[in-house]
Amino acid sequence: MTDYKPANPVLEVQDLRFYYGDSRAIHGVDITFPEKQVTALIGPSGCGKSTLLRCFNRMNDLIDISRVEGKVLLDGQNIYDKSTDIIELRRQVGMVFQKSNPFPKSIYENVIYGLRIAGEKDKALFDERVETSLRGAALWDEVKDRLHDSALGLSGGQMQRLCIARAIAVNPKVILMDEPCSALDPKSTARVEELIGELRKNFTIIIVTHNMQQAARVSDNTAFLFEGNLIEYGPTDQLFVKPQNKQTEDYITGRFG
Amino acid sequence: MNAAFLKKVKRNDQLARWVITVGGMAIIFSVIFILVLIAKVSLPLFLAPKAQLQQVVQLDRANEQIVTFGHDEYMETAYRLLDDGTTVFFNLEDGSEIDRFEPDPPAEGLTPLTVESFGRLRQAIGWSDGQLTVSQVRFKPFFDINNNNQRRIDHEIIPLALFPTPADGIPLISQARIDEEGRQTRVNRYPGNHLTLQVREVSENFLGDEEITETETTLSFNSSGTLTTLILSAAGQHLYAGTDRGELLRWYLSDTEEPKLIETVQAFADQRSITALNLVLGDVSLAVGDETGQVSTWFPVRDEMGDKKLKRIHTLSQHNGAVQKILPSPQDKSVISLGPNKLILDLMTSERFLLAFGEEEGLIDFRLSTRGDSILALTKEGRLLSWKLDIPHPEISLGTLFGKVWYEGYDEPVYAWQSSSASDDYEPKLSLAPLIFGTLKGTFYAMLFAVPLAIFGAIYTSQFARPRLREWIKPAVEVMAAIPTVIIGFLAALWLAPLIERSLGGVFLSLILLPAALMLSILAWQGARKIEPLKRLERGFEFLAIAPIIILTIAIAAACGPGLENLFFAGDLKQWLFTEMGTRYDPRNCIIIAFAMGFAVIPITFTIAEDSLSNVPNSLKAASLALGASRWQTVWRVILPSASPGIFAGTMIGFGRAVGETMIVLMATGNTAIMDLSIFNGMRPLSANIAVEIPEAPVDGSLYRTLFLSAVILFVMTFVVNTIAEIVRQRLRAKYGKF
Repeated sequence: MTDYKPANPVLEVQDLRFYYGDSRAIHGVDITFPEKQVTALIGPSGCGKSTLLRCFNRMNDLIDISRVEGKVLLDGQNIYDKSTDIIELRRQVGMVFQKSNPFPKSIYENVIYGLRIAGEKDKALFDERVETSLRGAALWDEVKDRLHDSALGLSGGQMQRLCIARAIAVNPKVILMDEPCSALDPKSTARVEELIGELRKNFTIIIVTHNMQQAARVSDNTAFLFEGNLIEYGPTDQLFVKPQNKQTEDYITGRFG
Repeated sequence: MNAAFLKKVKRNDQLARWVITVGGMAIIFSVIFILVLIAKVSLPLFLAPKAQLQQVVQLDRANEQIVTFGHDEYMETAYRLLDDGTTVFFNLEDGSEIDRFEPDPPAEGLTPLTVESFGRLRQAIGWSDGQLTVSQVRFKPFFDINNNNQRRIDHEIIPLALFPTPADGIPLISQARIDEEGRQTRVNRYPGNHLTLQVREVSENFLGDEEITETETTLSFNSSGTLTTLILSAAGQHLYAGTDRGELLRWYLSDTEEPKLIETVQAFADQRSITALNLVLGDVSLAVGDETGQVSTWFPVRDEMGDKKLKRIHTLSQHNGAVQKILPSPQDKSVISLGPNKLILDLMTSERFLLAFGEEEGLIDFRLSTRGDSILALTKEGRLLSWKLDIPHPEISLGTLFGKVWYEGYDEPVYAWQSSSASDDYEPKLSLAPLIFGTLKGTFYAMLFAVPLAIFGAIYTSQFARPRLREWIKPAVEVMAAIPTVIIGFLAALWLAPLIERSLGGVFLSLILLPAALMLSILAWQGARKIEPLKRLERGFEFLAIAPIIILTIAIAAACGPGLENLFFAGDLKQWLFTEMGTRYDPRNCIIIAFAMGFAVIPITFTIAEDSLSNVPNSLKAASLALGASRWQTVWRVILPSASPGIFAGTMIGFGRAVGETMIVLMATGNTAIMDLSIFNGMRPLSANIAVEIPEAPVDGSLYRTLFLSAVILFVMTFVVNTIAEIVRQRLRAKYGKF
């Protein structure tokens, strides 16, 4: 059911192929992500789900020998066009990484980093954004008294939520999450998952996860990738209950992976 | 895992822990040990001077009147000259008589009237008819073959000169000197401020016969007071006199027909009487003692008119009554003065009070041995006291090492380092200030050049260059560190220095042109970066585009330099700098040092900075880029702060390297111990100074110990710098986290 086309598409991927040097990692993927929903990308290790995710904000450009073919349309505009400004793109497509990576700065400075690099200098706006973003990331109550302490003093789960706050502070359209909970304990994971549920009201979220229960819990749609191919894509409840494809079924029932 | 294997693993673990602990401790201890060793050599510089009373000999004051006395440098034999002209040699330990020389007057029946002891056991004896003889007592250690090789001190009296009775009759007092060419000078003082000069010059005529010319002139002068004391210089060329109205007079006696009164100085405004005069070793400074007990030294200094005028330079100790006698040390610039109740030893140069001794002994006269390390003094009651002086390094004090000092012959106090000179009686100038200054100056200019290059190079290599390129650049720069510094110094001194000196105009021009050309090319690049073949350059090969621009700019600067010099600086920039800007251009200067020492500093700083920049986790870089930061924003706001502990450490280690660097500065600084911030002058750093001087420093001498002291300072400087660096690094690390 790879021809699943949800309504209100924000990000459309057309025949995307990705190469590391001569070897192809993604073999022509077509997928559409709907607005203000959570889409999970699942699949066994090395299936290309993270690589695919990084194609959406062109983080793969950092890899010298990489090459991309095909199109990724953000609001109908191909992000791989020569006219695309990568900096502008990344402001619209935020990202949260597998390992939390707050800057060695204060909590406050971490949140407004995206604004600062965009040339923003308005102190009032900073204050407002810090509060809304931290509230949005469900961190405000925990850190409001120590905004100017180092972010490195937070716990693992708090750091990850700070990274989410940092990502939403610049008001992106899409937030990419690359296994955001894989390094967290169950309690923190639960909080982040809860947070994702809140965030979907305002943002389009694409989340890569290893954990099928997590995908089942947080996502509206799920895409299963295997060896660089999109095997199956559909609403989460359907895909988990009635997978159309044998490979999908084998994977979600734990026969491999 | 079986039990035996587990045991072995544990044992190895223990062993490794011990080896590492012992190794680490051994390193710490050896560093401390080195510091202790160096400090141990330098510490005696600050030992307190000592005078130890050796012997007391009671003389038979009832039956003999002593006119003069003296002793050998071994403190074994002494002599006394009695008022009948007899010289008695006696054992200084028990006072027993050894030998007795009958009077040897120039004519029968004469007795000594006046005696002046001077120099190395010499005495000028004025006889009762006005004639004057100069003789010298000589002591010589001697091993008696006939008596079981026992060591004895031999003694003899050598007559040196005989002056006839002066035309004006028997003087009150006379002084006489003999110089190396045989010129004999006698000055006679008569009552009523009457002074005469007698000179006997012995020369050979063309037949090889000796000819003696004798002249006698009156030294006339005007003074409101009465002459109280005289001193004739060792060669008899200069005469100084003091009056009871505080005046100092100075004559130049070289022209025997017309001796010249150079000046009369009202030395003391309160017209206090001058009671004692003598010349400090070297015959430049005049030590003056007055009735208030003040000892001061004077020497001629150029005044506003450019004339040399006697000026009070150093004020030494204060006695509690009139100064009776002053003697200079025959070894250094120290002065011993006798007041009403004690002897005081001062060092003139640093005005350092060294010792006071012989309190309440009733001393009336004293002599120094020829080595200046012992004193024989006579009391009112006819006792002779001898002291052994132990003043290891009188010329060294914190004041002379770090402060300004007014040296003989200088017009003002200065910081100076001049450890040796052609003559024996020079004043050692051992100020460490110009050396510390030199070290800091050289380091400053080297860091100014090296640190920006190293850090920007590291930023480029780690953040902007392609990884492949980085694999080449890093080892290449590290190989730079392996170049022996002697080669860098050699190239800097013999190739770079003349090159820069020749094309100074070009060097300055390129300083202006290079940044301008780079700016222009960057602006041009902004337009060209979108063009397809150039676009490929942008990611990590930009330097390929910059290289020809830099080379071309330098070539243009070199070509235009001479023309520019002709146009604006009358063809010679160096001359222009000197006449217009007042800076002298040394061929070996800080520009050379910056380049050469930069060559030594860059690799270390670069490597450490590059490592720490590369070690900033990619996740941070990714986080920044994912938020829409440009490469430079990422570097500036995330990478640099995170790498700052490492960059700082690299800079500080480079600093430590520059401070301790020896070979390059030795060869390329010119080693001039001057204190001038000018970039066109050289300097003499501590390290190079040690290398230059230690082979020539007598072991355990003042210079030797001072060099060790400078090594301690160098050690402490690097230690302090490294400690501060470590503290700052720790704080930066605490602030920017550890990864």
